[in-house]
Amino acid sequence: MMYATFSPLLLTGTTPEVSPGVTLFFGALLVGLILSLALEEKLHAKKSVIAGIFAVLCLILGDLFDLLPLGKVIVGGHGVDMPVYIPPIDWNVIAIILGSSLFVDITSKSGLFTWVAIKLTKASRGDPLRLLILYGLMTVVFSAVLNNVTAMIIVGSLTGVSLKKLGRTDRLLGFLLVEGLLTNVGGLLTLISSVPNIIVGTAAGITFVKFFLVAGPFVAVATLLTLWLGARIFRIHRLDTAREREEASALVAGFDENDGIVSRGFFWFGTGMLFLFILVIATASILPLIKDLGMGYVAGAFGLIMLIRYKATAERFYQALDWDLLGFFCGLFIVINVMEHAGVLHLIGKGLAGIINLGPTAGSSLILVSSSVASSVTDNIPLAAMLAKILEANPEIGPDPTSPFWWSVVFGANLGGNITPIGSASTLVAVTIIHKYKLPLTFMGFVKKAIPFAALQILLAVVYVLVFLG
Amino acid sequence: MTRVDQFESVFRAADKERFSYRRIEIQKILVVTDLDASEAAPFLERVRGYLAVLGDDALWKPAFREAFQTVGDLLDLVEKEAPDLICTYRNLRSHAWKWPYSLGVHLDVLTQETRVPIMVFPHPGLESASGRTPEDTRTVMGLTDHLAGDDRLVNHAARFTRKDGTLILAHVEDQAVFDRTMDTISKVPSIDTDTAREDILRQLLKEPEDYIESCRHTLKEQNLQLTTRAVVTVGHHIREYKRLVEDHDVDLLVMNTKDKDQMAMHGLAYPLAVEIRSIPLYLL
Repeated sequence: MMYATFSPLLLTGTTPEVSPGVTLFFGALLVGLILSLALEEKLHAKKSVIAGIFAVLCLILGDLFDLLPLGKVIVGGHGVDMPVYIPPIDWNVIAIILGSSLFVDITSKSGLFTWVAIKLTKASRGDPLRLLILYGLMTVVFSAVLNNVTAMIIVGSLTGVSLKKLGRTDRLLGFLLVEGLLTNVGGLLTLISSVPNIIVGTAAGITFVKFFLVAGPFVAVATLLTLWLGARIFRIHRLDTAREREEASALVAGFDENDGIVSRGFFWFGTGMLFLFILVIATASILPLIKDLGMGYVAGAFGLIMLIRYKATAERFYQALDWDLLGFFCGLFIVINVMEHAGVLHLIGKGLAGIINLGPTAGSSLILVSSSVASSVTDNIPLAAMLAKILEANPEIGPDPTSPFWWSVVFGANLGGNITPIGSASTLVAVTIIHKYKLPLTFMGFVKKAIPFAALQILLAVVYVLVFLG
Repeated sequence: MTRVDQFESVFRAADKERFSYRRIEIQKILVVTDLDASEAAPFLERVRGYLAVLGDDALWKPAFREAFQTVGDLLDLVEKEAPDLICTYRNLRSHAWKWPYSLGVHLDVLTQETRVPIMVFPHPGLESASGRTPEDTRTVMGLTDHLAGDDRLVNHAARFTRKDGTLILAHVEDQAVFDRTMDTISKVPSIDTDTAREDILRQLLKEPEDYIESCRHTLKEQNLQLTTRAVVTVGHHIREYKRLVEDHDVDLLVMNTKDKDQMAMHGLAYPLAVEIRSIPLYLL
């Protein structure tokens, strides 16, 4: 893979000899980064700033301790002068996120996603249970095709508007919570549905189709169970009388799915491009030429093609990109690279070896559960990036894309986000919308309500990994 | 969280007011005049001819000079008769009709005290001078500054539009209010003034346009055999409405008079009712 070829560590071949004191010192820095990310809200600091500061610190200290592989980087057989902080960044991941964000943002301007959302609202005929099921399924599909945050924003904002219209704001908390929890389930569906999937999938060499085939059955069952449990816990039932059904149906009939469509031509173009995007991404590993350029190229190319529609005002979309996330990635990849050179990952890897050595049954279960717990209190991206690096370096797991350990990290990193409101960006969006509607929900209140769902999903994932992937 | 707001706006905009048709039943009509029976006869005849759209089955109940003296008497009369419609004119029991500055105390109170719609005709004295009451209700204009969702206004206006007639649904945004809002927005650095002006105005006008489209569609489905036309614009309220009435040769102007926030007549309705004196007005 392209990023591996650029890795200065791989150029040097081995981890340089580092004293235990230095390793522990850098380990403390890593803990500092993780804690800072966990306390992001308290610090009132964006992820990119936190990771950036730690990257700057790690680089200068890495140079001070003579850890960094300074000098030319070999690209295509030629030595190229390049700053030491450029090669560690996984540009394929950056290109996928940047390209697909651009693509999704512009495609949403076609009115496609709002059209789907309103069509489903009308199909529910205003019945709360049908609405929960349809919104739940929509959340999963949107999370899989778009990204968790965008899916939550679209479905969450529609939920607020439609339940208010139906006079069912007393059920809003339940709806938003279930949707928030389903974003992380939907985020498991494809290789590009969430950042941990991209990082782990890319490191493991899992293709898009393979990822979908493995994750798909789990996502289907987890979605149904979550909806069932949500309907029970939040008492979301069908309407009782014919009169209630008639009134609710009339209320949602007022939604006009075509209102957000500015141009019919662009609407169909956006629809066609979305299907084509999914098709090309799904077959990127086997398509001639595309397989050489990778998914980042596909995402970037599709983003740019869509941008042609807004060529004169392209800067609006550049401004809308999640630069915080992209900056965070760059900083994070640099920090992890320095940690690698400082022997921190090696040290953690040794600790994890104990778990891995428990075997594919106990080992993978423990990794899944501990990943879930870890990603419930801190960002799942550094966790996934770090574990991916460690697993990649393991001689038995690294070359084997079918190893259950990869899937343990994928399931754990995604589902852990459902335990606390800070566990994932999409649940944070759900909580923000909940608070926007002045519904009381504290941190612990969220945990209490979410824990039955998260426990069920994690348990299901453990069973799934053990029975079908072990 | 601006993207949540963005999508909420999209969904709120997609949530449109849909017109729901309901046939307005008018069985009993109370005609209130301050003339005696013989003097009132031509007026009564003109009113019946003008309201031919109501058909022959309606019960006409005239109330002449002796039927009431005070406002209280008139309210008692209305309560006793319980009509579906009151037909009358301005400045009952007063000569103030010669000066176009008021409706008269009887009408002032009646519009606010009773739920019964009132049709205000040109004063018989004015009519003898200008001979203006139209022959029938060929062109009816339902008029408001907030049309979207006002099913009652549209249903009443449609009821009085004769077969093959034209129903004009007019919505006029107040230019002065809009300018004042935009003036404030222009002083807020975080809002792009030009974009805000364009977007706000478009959305302000889109809502009544969409609603009128819903009215047109539903009335057509009901096979009422009338043509529905839309007038959605921005302008100075009174001036714009007077212009619209003249330009469209309106035979009946339908408007709301009740304002839930105040006891006096709706802010827009009163000056219109005072100033537009040459055609019948239907006050809801």
